[in-house]
Amino acid sequence: MDNANTDVIQGTMDMLILKMLSLEPMHGFGIGRRVEQVSRGVFKVNPGSLLTAMQRMERAGWIESEWRQTENARRAKFYRLTRVGKKQLEVESEDWARRAGAIARLMKAEG
Amino acid sequence: MALWHALRYGLRNLAHSSERAKDVDDEVAQYFAEAEAAMRQRGMSAEEARQAVRKEMGTMNAAREQVRTFGWENTVRATWADLCFAMRQLVKHPAFTWTAVLTLALGIGANAAIFTVIQSVLLAPLPYANANRLVLLNTRWTDSGHATQRVTGPDAVDVRAQSNDLLAVSLYNGGNEGVQLRDHATYTNVTWVDENFSRVFDLQPIAGRLFSSAEANHAVLVSETFARDNFGSAQAALGQTLHIESDAEEIVGVLPAGFNFPDETQIWEASPLNPASNSRTAFNYHAVALLRGGAALKSAQAELNALSQRLQDNYPQENRAKVLQVIPLAEALTGKARPTLLLLWATVAMILLIACVNVTHLQLVRSMERQREIAIRKALGSSAWQVIRPVVMESLLVSLLGAVAGVLLALPTVRILVAMAPRELPRASEIHLNGWVLAFTLAIAVSTALIASLLPAVRAAKANAAEAMKQDAAHGMEKRGTRRLRDGLVIAEVAATFVLAVGAGMLLRTMTALMKRNMGYQTQQVLVVDADNPAHADTDYTRALRQFSGLFAQLGQMPGVVSAAGVMGLPTSEYGSNGYYKTQGGLPMDAQHKPYANFTVASPGYFDTMEIPLLRGRGFNGGDTADGQFVAVISESLAKQSFGDADPIGRLIQCGLDSPKWMTVVGVVGDVRQDSPAEQPGPTLYMPMAQHPYYANQIHIVLRTKVKPLSLVNAVRAKVMRTNPAIAMKFTTMDAMLNDSITVERFRAILLVTFAGAGLLLAMLGIYGTIEYSVAQRGFEIGIRMAFGANKGTILAGILKHASLLACLGIAIGAGASLMLTRLVTAMLVGVRPIDPVSLVSAALLLVLTAILAASAPGWKAAHVNPVQALRAE
Repeated sequence: MDNANTDVIQGTMDMLILKMLSLEPMHGFGIGRRVEQVSRGVFKVNPGSLLTAMQRMERAGWIESEWRQTENARRAKFYRLTRVGKKQLEVESEDWARRAGAIARLMKAEG
Repeated sequence: MALWHALRYGLRNLAHSSERAKDVDDEVAQYFAEAEAAMRQRGMSAEEARQAVRKEMGTMNAAREQVRTFGWENTVRATWADLCFAMRQLVKHPAFTWTAVLTLALGIGANAAIFTVIQSVLLAPLPYANANRLVLLNTRWTDSGHATQRVTGPDAVDVRAQSNDLLAVSLYNGGNEGVQLRDHATYTNVTWVDENFSRVFDLQPIAGRLFSSAEANHAVLVSETFARDNFGSAQAALGQTLHIESDAEEIVGVLPAGFNFPDETQIWEASPLNPASNSRTAFNYHAVALLRGGAALKSAQAELNALSQRLQDNYPQENRAKVLQVIPLAEALTGKARPTLLLLWATVAMILLIACVNVTHLQLVRSMERQREIAIRKALGSSAWQVIRPVVMESLLVSLLGAVAGVLLALPTVRILVAMAPRELPRASEIHLNGWVLAFTLAIAVSTALIASLLPAVRAAKANAAEAMKQDAAHGMEKRGTRRLRDGLVIAEVAATFVLAVGAGMLLRTMTALMKRNMGYQTQQVLVVDADNPAHADTDYTRALRQFSGLFAQLGQMPGVVSAAGVMGLPTSEYGSNGYYKTQGGLPMDAQHKPYANFTVASPGYFDTMEIPLLRGRGFNGGDTADGQFVAVISESLAKQSFGDADPIGRLIQCGLDSPKWMTVVGVVGDVRQDSPAEQPGPTLYMPMAQHPYYANQIHIVLRTKVKPLSLVNAVRAKVMRTNPAIAMKFTTMDAMLNDSITVERFRAILLVTFAGAGLLLAMLGIYGTIEYSVAQRGFEIGIRMAFGANKGTILAGILKHASLLACLGIAIGAGASLMLTRLVTAMLVGVRPIDPVSLVSAALLLVLTAILAASAPGWKAAHVNPVQALRAE
């Protein structure tokens, strides 16, 4: 289990972050922990890649950020989904569903 | 939209860069703090949590670095930082910077200058309307392969009448003519053109109107320059009258100053559409034509091929094997200059190569000094690109500085080049620095930067931290590959310089061969007067002849003058004629190769004045008159060509100059080289002026003098003016004319020698730098050797031997290369064989000496190393 690949599937990082943020505003570590928990440890995110992705998405106008207090009284940068981001999440999840379905069908194919 | 966001964020981040950095740092720190807090909640100690997080997520530093580098503005910032770093480095190493920048300035400047000439002459479109549709008609003989840029009148008229692809065809001819204005006479380039000329070039007069062929020999167009110089303004010139060959011409229009086709023409005189000459073997005209829009050169040529075939069928004698061709006008004008310009281009490319090698070497030395710095950077986790970037940046900066200095250097160089350029260099007045040249310069600067930084960059990228730390250049513990690399650069440099030196040597030897040549006449102490006595009617010609004959006698009597004579067809002058001739009682004639000779018309005393030796019979005298028996004097090789060993005196000869009369050969004189010293002496047929008056009004007067020829100018001018003030005059000396006849060769030789000198200087710098560096590095080793008893001589000899070995290897490679490149210059050599041992050996000696000289200073320093100091130094 130690050597299992825990990298997020290429190209899905943005969608996962958007999905997590659609539940509630979160800070970076919160997103990382949520991904790990919900995926039951199948995916683990690297902070460098995650925060770089946050920068890129903020720049694209999908999310907004703000520094405020966390529940345990630390200051953290919280991210929130914007309207554009919501639309983007719809686009990406539709696209993903379509492709995942296709892959599932292909893998079930029998000679 | 996304782009706009990216741009706005980037700019905001650039403006508040420290705030943003803090923001990223805080966020990453908070991330790691939360992660550790989460671990501790699972019951780990603070230390355990820290280690677990680190194991799982890597270091905080790495994450921070990753996030920070996101966004285009960070690339900009990193590049800017590298640039600043490079700039600081350059300022800190002034010796390196100056040497590299000046070296490149020389290389890039030479290239920019030559490219300016090439761009303006060979590449830029002609400065005429429809420039790419203009063509010149050529005549070519398929049997001999010989071609001329001239056509016969009837052939050109047939082309005009029958071609569909050529919209307009214009016949023209002309030259430097004496032009009589109201109060003075002047020499100007005059061209006779038909009315189609203005259609071909789409001419619009800035004042007045164009002419029609109905006004032939009565109307002229003048250039704006001519109008301004002689009448004050274009408007003032309109309606004025001037005389050319004693025709009265009215100025009906003025053409813009930029137009001067052909050959800097100032006056265009109307000529009839149907040319005066109806011979299909007299190539008296040039013809320029305009291709129909959309018609390809190929289809026009196909049309001319068919036409030429019809003409060959209709005139089997005159048009035998004769084909008319269309040549793009730009090519026709510049074709002859092309080899010289390409040779110069190849030369400056070689210089740039040498400069590149020098800068590569300098960079290499720099990068070796930085080896440890680079190793440390790599050990700390820099990527290959991150270590290469500062190296490339530095090189780029040096190249750009070099390019700026190079362009500044090119500006005066181009001016000197144009001033020095032979008259034969076409389009010289159009040569100027422009955007293309700047773009070219930028391109070579960037490629120079890339080439020069290639080796150092690769070495930096490959640098192995552990290896680099072990190496210690100052103690002579350099990797063997490094030294071999630097030696290779020196060898390449010597090879390139050798090629240049050999080329320069051969062209120089060509020059000296030309200057030493026996022309067949004595060139010193001869004053030459270009004299044009206007004549139109038959009586004018006899008057001109009488006036000139009187003048020769008077001028011969002047103090300081030995003798004076007149001639049409003076060697190296622009007048003269040539053609086929026939003999009676001569050797049988081969119909395929009719005998050919230069025709020269001379006054009595011409041979004495020029000191052309009389070998047999007599020269011309007063008894050879228009009413008497027609006579001729022939040159030695004409005698051999047509009469063999038999005595030619008394034989009959006939030529197509102006009269079908048979002439009796009365004398044989020595051969002369007619056009330039580069030419072989050939057959010449001399005829007396008195029997050919139509060739006796536009002549050269030659005076053999006892004093400095030009000191007589005023006295001679006064004498001529007293005879006839309408005679236009130009003064020069035979020596000056001879000099002018080899300007192309001189231009080539001077430029190549200059460039070879620059190359030699660069090579010397390169060798000096390399040896100096290796001596500095081997100080420790030399110290040890001396401590063990090596003497100074051995140390010095070792270093000089190394330098001369490198030089010899370079020479060997250079010799191979120059043998391969000989083809480039073969056509430009006179009196020198393409593989010239003298040039090869002297170039080799020069380079070995240069290498030894360049190595001797550092060698001397090495031999005087104080062992105690060297061993202690660190």
